[in-house]
Amino acid sequence: MDIQQLLYLLMVLPVIASVVIWFLPKNYKVLSTFHILGSMATSIIGLLAVSKVIDGQTYFIFDEMFFLDSLGAVFISLIAVTGLLVNLYSVKYMQWEVEKGELTVKDTKLFFTLFHLFVFTMTFSVLANNIALMWVGIEATTLSSVFMVAIHKSKKSTETGWKYIIICSIGLAFALYATVLLYSAGFNIINDSHSAMLWTTLMAHSKEIDPDALKLIFIFALIGFGTKAGLAPTHTWLPDVHSEGPAPSSAMLSGILLKCAILALIRYYAVVGNSLAGFEYVQSLMIISGLVTIFIASFFLLMQHDVKRMFAYHSIAHMGVIAFGLGIGGAVGLFAALFHVLAHSVTKALAFCVTGNMIQIYGTRDMTKMGGLIKIAPITAILFGIAVCSLVGVPGFAIFVSEFLMIKQSIVNGLNLEVILFIIGLIIIFIADFSHFNLATFGKSNSKVLRNELPLSANLPLIGLASLIIIFGVFTIKPWFALLQNAVNIIMGI
Amino acid sequence: MIDLLSILSIILIISSLCVFGIRNYKLATCAYSFQTFILVMIFIYLYKTYSADELGSWAIIAFFTKVIFVPVILLRLIKKLKVEHEDEPVLGFYVSPIVAIAFSLAIAMALYPIYLKFSLIKEHIPLIASITIFMIGIFGFVLRNSAIKQILAYCTFENGIHLSLALMAYNSPEIVELGILTDALFAVIITSIFASRFFKYFGSLDVSKATELKG
Repeated sequence: MDIQQLLYLLMVLPVIASVVIWFLPKNYKVLSTFHILGSMATSIIGLLAVSKVIDGQTYFIFDEMFFLDSLGAVFISLIAVTGLLVNLYSVKYMQWEVEKGELTVKDTKLFFTLFHLFVFTMTFSVLANNIALMWVGIEATTLSSVFMVAIHKSKKSTETGWKYIIICSIGLAFALYATVLLYSAGFNIINDSHSAMLWTTLMAHSKEIDPDALKLIFIFALIGFGTKAGLAPTHTWLPDVHSEGPAPSSAMLSGILLKCAILALIRYYAVVGNSLAGFEYVQSLMIISGLVTIFIASFFLLMQHDVKRMFAYHSIAHMGVIAFGLGIGGAVGLFAALFHVLAHSVTKALAFCVTGNMIQIYGTRDMTKMGGLIKIAPITAILFGIAVCSLVGVPGFAIFVSEFLMIKQSIVNGLNLEVILFIIGLIIIFIADFSHFNLATFGKSNSKVLRNELPLSANLPLIGLASLIIIFGVFTIKPWFALLQNAVNIIMGI
Repeated sequence: MIDLLSILSIILIISSLCVFGIRNYKLATCAYSFQTFILVMIFIYLYKTYSADELGSWAIIAFFTKVIFVPVILLRLIKKLKVEHEDEPVLGFYVSPIVAIAFSLAIAMALYPIYLKFSLIKEHIPLIASITIFMIGIFGFVLRNSAIKQILAYCTFENGIHLSLALMAYNSPEIVELGILTDALFAVIITSIFASRFFKYFGSLDVSKATELKG
């Protein structure tokens, strides 16, 4: 199968899976089987497509409106790997929800249908070379995921859904303005309506586009895609949405969706950085945005006792870390930022799925009512520990690699004040996390325990995610490093 | 002598302010329908004047989707919920429109020279109108607490972007216009469903009463 066919399939398969599940009978076994089959097929095709661009090739489809380059491939990897493992877990999680009477089989059918539609919208945004279609894809991710988040029919769920769609829509309106402006500014130079919408053409002509216009465009893009990515101060939708939705949807949103928004921002970062506006301009904005985000998130993190809300603030903090990496810039800073995208994706997917286990065990999200997890459910406790260790940047876990590279490169670049602030932010996160970890894991349980360890079939996808965290923290995966290096070259216009 | 395009643009700004400020939901929705009708008129004017064929089809699509379809959805929602007037907004009924128009115009005046530089159609007042309407929509979210008024605010800023797109990028591939419009329509449908759910659970459309999630 050639790469073009793979790319067509990559876009069509999730839609087919979504439609098929929608028309299936309300039988949970049948629904979950098709859900897994659809996810596996999408993931395999995704990984096959990624394997074709590791060496830096770029392939186009649909009259160059969609494409796969090494940069996009980094994010397709997340959809393929994190997406599949979360999907596998979601089958068990939704079954528990049905058994408890929290959801009906009809609700799970809607959930699985939307899950694949959501994967389609994310794939659409990642593969889009046309900048307007990229925006359409990002906006569509909100529309396709809002009922996955607000699937429970309750006050909190309704408030969550409302906040999610309204705040993200306002933010993305600015991103649409950035898109229109970039097209107009590009059209002035390129003089072809089709090509002026293509990111690859805009990159090729970035030096000719008016730098003042590009500066304004980047501010609009930062507000717009930054809102969707959870960067402060427009992050306020994120703690509610990530904490209120079912664990698998939180894992998908945090593990993949936020990164798709970051990719859109990186595409603008690259165009503006390679123009006469220069990388210094975009880097300074990203450093400020990153540090403000890290500090706001770490402050709120200290006060959290709700385990899902704690991880939601972590998502914000780590989006700040990625922004900080983009702020450092250069080959190492960008490499670290992209590495962090994967490291955080698998870590946060594990973290949110583990909270799904913890809620089954204690029947609450409040960590002050937990305790003794290591005795009640040792595998869940270890998985929780791995997620926390990675999130705080303990050596040997994936996130350590990117955070270490960022600190090292900041010092090399003479960003002394910035790196001190960055380290202080990380220390606050470290303290908050380990105190919370101790609260839930050790001592005696402070509430009635509803069940013991979850079955291995539920924990297997989580063990897979934990293994990836350690593998990427310890080993140098050559194809992955080559892919990242090519992605960095694309951003730097090399 | 002020030309027809400028008059239509000024009417567009005034009608946006009506959508923002009118307390009665039905009237505010009708004001939105009227505002979009003026937008369609502007598209037709530009289509005739600049021989921009794309804008002819944009006008037809916008008429059926935004002058008719979106208001029908909102009027049905209003009828279903049996609501008439919005509650007191942030800063009160009289101050909030003044704040919205003052800041929106100021921002529009500051930004429009950059827009003008790259615009395919270099018309000053419509460009100012497009940014002003966009900002009035944004202020609608900030200053109005009613869920229906917030949906109308979304529709308003979407009209602002639509006008910017018509002036600055009418020759962009049609799939772009189609994609953006589809997203906007789905957004209105989904927010309407949530407004209905919101009313069911909170007994009001006042989103400031939703305080279940804090911290």
